[in-house]
Amino acid sequence: MFTVYTIMLCAVTVVLTVWSIVETIRNRPAGKALLGASALLLLLLIVQLVLSIVTFSSTHDVDPLLYFGYVITAILVVALAGFWAFAELSRWGPGVLAAAGLTVLVMIERLDQIWH
Amino acid sequence: MALKNRKGNGTNGVDAAGRTTAADDRRRAVASARQERRARSPYSAMHTGPGRALTAVYGIFALSATARAGYQLIREFDVAPVAYSLSAFAAVVYIVATICLVIGNRTSHRIAIASCVVEFVGVIVVGILSFTHPEDFANPSVWSSFGIGYGFIPLILPLVGLWWLALVGRRIRTA
Repeated sequence: MFTVYTIMLCAVTVVLTVWSIVETIRNRPAGKALLGASALLLLLLIVQLVLSIVTFSSTHDVDPLLYFGYVITAILVVALAGFWAFAELSRWGPGVLAAAGLTVLVMIERLDQIWH
Repeated sequence: MALKNRKGNGTNGVDAAGRTTAADDRRRAVASARQERRARSPYSAMHTGPGRALTAVYGIFALSATARAGYQLIREFDVAPVAYSLSAFAAVVYIVATICLVIGNRTSHRIAIASCVVEFVGVIVVGILSFTHPEDFANPSVWSSFGIGYGFIPLILPLVGLWWLALVGRRIRTA
C-alpha cells in the first residue's frame, strides 16, 4: 500500500534480524538498544494497523479478515518475541528475535501483496 | 532490573572494590529457582537457552499456522476441504508440541515426541501427495510441497525438535 512505509518497515525488520543474528553469534543477551529496536518495530506495526484502518475504505477487494489477521499476528509475534528477549539473559534472546524478524519480514511482504 | 545486567559474559558479580553486587544476588536467585524448576519438571525444554529458543520458535510457528488455518476454515473451506482440514490439524499439532515442550513431565515428553513424528510424517506424505495428486493440494496448506511456502521450516522443525527431545531424554537417563 503506502510503498514508502512498507520499504521502511522492511528495512527496520532486516536491520533488527541481522543485528539479532550478530548478537547471537557474539554470545550476548539482548541489550537495551536491541530491545529498543524491537519496540520501534512494534510501534511501526501498530502505526501500520492504524493507517490501514483509516485508509481501508480506499481499497477494493481486500478481505479485512485476511489483512488484519496478518497485521495482528505480526504485532503479536513481535510483542511476544520482544518480551521473550527481555526475560532471556542468554544469547538465545536475540536468537528468538531473529526468528521473529524473519517471520515478520515474510508477513510484511504478504501484507503488501494482499493490499495490491 | 534485567536491563542492568545485560553486559554478557564479562560481569562476574563483583565490583571494583570486591563487593558482591546486586547482579550477583540476582544471578544466584535465578540459579536456585532454575534448579527447583528442573527438579519439578525434568523434561521441560525451558531450563536451557537453546531449549527456550526452540520453544519460542515452535510458539511463533504455532501462532502463524493457527492464524492462517483459522482464516482458511472461515473463508475458503469449500474451495479445498482436504488441504484446509490438514492445515487446521497441523496447527493443532504445533500447539500441542509447544505446550508439551514447556510442561516437561514424562507424559508430555512422549506426547511431544509423538507430535514431532506426526509433523514429520505429515510433511513427507503431504509433500509427496502434492506432487502426485496436485489437483487435491492445489491450494496451499502448511505441509504442501514439503512446506515450501514456509521456507521448508515445517520439514526442519520436527527434526530439530526430535533431536532436542532425544538429547533431553538421554540427559535424564544418565543423570
